[in-house]
Amino acid sequence: MIASDLIRGHLDTIILKLIIEEDRYGYDIASCIKERTKGQFSLKEATLYSALNRLEGKQAIESYMGNKTHGKKRRYYKITPLGKAYYSEKIKEWEQFKTVLETLLEANYETN
Amino acid sequence: MKQIKNFVKHTFRGLPKEDKDRVIDYVTELLTEKVEDLIESGLEEQTAIDKAVLEFGTIEDYYDAKEHTIKPHRTTRQSKNDLIFSVIGTLIIIGMLIFSNLYYTPGVIWFVIPMLAVLWWPLVMLYNFLNKRNRED
Repeated sequence: MIASDLIRGHLDTIILKLIIEEDRYGYDIASCIKERTKGQFSLKEATLYSALNRLEGKQAIESYMGNKTHGKKRRYYKITPLGKAYYSEKIKEWEQFKTVLETLLEANYETN
Repeated sequence: MKQIKNFVKHTFRGLPKEDKDRVIDYVTELLTEKVEDLIESGLEEQTAIDKAVLEFGTIEDYYDAKEHTIKPHRTTRQSKNDLIFSVIGTLIIIGMLIFSNLYYTPGVIWFVIPMLAVLWWPLVMLYNFLNKRNRED
């Protein structure tokens, strides 16, 4: 189980990525995350909903009411151009971050 | 789904009024979707509701993600009202003390002693208010 504060800074990026793949609704996103990480990270609904609300406020995503296949109505989220730009920005940031951490934590430097 | 609505209402009961209804409606809608999905995947309705409620988290989880913008429970305006209440209350009490002092025992001035004790009340409220105002600046 990964501590949620380690992931928190990247939560927006994760959600954007899932919505870029296809339009999704709230529980779809939560179960997708759980499934893909094989239960190593599961998101509290409270955190997810406020992140969605915030992203919608930033106009990175839009919501619309859609029908689930032979199901009830769902609030689906879809990505906006702004959201895509924000996502690629975040991915660049993440690549940098990864390189920095790899350099600092994994490389074996000769200390004299 | 009444249970879900009640749960959400209870969770967000501390929010200021402007935000409250919007947040409650929004969260209820999404959480109901989850319960419906769980039922569809074969759970009993009650089990589905319990699961959704258990996994929801707390109001802190909701506001943590919003970069700690949790609203204080008592706003500056409320603190100001508390201060005004304490000042008026103190004035009434001191007035009564002076009256009974002068009316019943005009020879002895004793009202200052209980007055000193009562004065702590508005003093506490005043600093409470000042601290709150500083924090919000």
